Amino acid sequence: MRVDKNTSAAVLATALVFLGAYETQLFAQQSVRNEQWSVQVDNVEPGDVNLDPAFRVAIYENLLDELSKTHHFKQVFRSGERNAAGLSALLILKTTVENYTPGSETRRAVTTVSGATKLKVRTQLCSPQGQVIWERTVDGNVLFFGSNLRATHNLARNVANSIKESSLPQPAIPPSASGN
Amino acid sequence: MIERFVMPKRKRVGRLLKSPARTCLTLMVLFGTGLVGQTTNGAKSSASDSAARATHILGMESISKGANGRLSLQEGSLQFQPDEGRDAKISIASIQDVFCGEQDRQVGGVPMALGQAATPFGGGRVIGLFAHKKFDTLTVEYLDPNGGLHGAIFQLNRGQGEILRSKLQARGARSHELADQAATVSSSGVQQ
Repeated sequence: MRVDKNTSAAVLATALVFLGAYETQLFAQQSVRNEQWSVQVDNVEPGDVNLDPAFRVAIYENLLDELSKTHHFKQVFRSGERNAAGLSALLILKTTVENYTPGSETRRAVTTVSGATKLKVRTQLCSPQGQVIWERTVDGNVLFFGSNLRATHNLARNVANSIKESSLPQPAIPPSASGN
Repeated sequence: MIERFVMPKRKRVGRLLKSPARTCLTLMVLFGTGLVGQTTNGAKSSASDSAARATHILGMESISKGANGRLSLQEGSLQFQPDEGRDAKISIASIQDVFCGEQDRQVGGVPMALGQAATPFGGGRVIGLFAHKKFDTLTVEYLDPNGGLHGAIFQLNRGQGEILRSKLQARGARSHELADQAATVSSSGVQQ
């Protein structure tokens, strides 16, 4: 059986349109589901690790940046922000540094194989009552090129991607009743 | 005997000014010494103004990352004046903590990186060894009017970070390091 060229093109176009519509619907559903939550980024805990304060601050600021970029949450709050108080659909992002290997940009440039900056953190999304809703251990490294502080950017991007890929439960109370 | 070697002062000046070449040379040396003296005084005065060349690494929302400018203390605030664009201020009263650290970074940017990559026989690695410079980092944690915690990181020339941190602390910026020192002193006083 010979199929007309025009017919096959029409079938292909219809399939593409349906696929596109399905993807859009899926994306919209996901956005609606996740945008019900707001997140407050807590100050980074250095744990038992002797972490350079610049790295701690850089992780915190990069987390705020990267989480805003994902459009995964309704609002992204800073630690201590008064606007976040009283929101029931609020998650608190807690980050504790588990491992930090200070690197050297000079050593990376000269030897290529040594001088990497490595960061490993345990990150948790908690309810305001302290219940852990989501938990992951995430790495952020600079192996070859870039400044040492770039490890904090990579780490924050990995944390944001991990959160984006995970499905969070529905908030207990609808956002309309949470004072928004 | 000694009188033959030690000439009177007027005679020495007279000899120096005898030929035009010598006169020119003397004047140049004197003028140069004056210039050096002036430069030193100028450097001292700029240091006392506490304005330092700095690069904004991250943290200040209105300033782009990597912007170069001048970091100074003015009327109860830490001000960053970028070379292009509007300045940004952090009130000293809102500062929660100040840290000073050290980082090494490659100088020369992309052209240097490309030059290193293009150098044959591993010569790029040798260039890389000398194309790095150590910098101070000044990290400031502060609160916005809404109570939100912010952190800003600046990169300064070596030695400048510690100076600026001391000045911030002297003007009342909070620092956990100072609090820890005070606690240590008070606890040792109690023990005595």
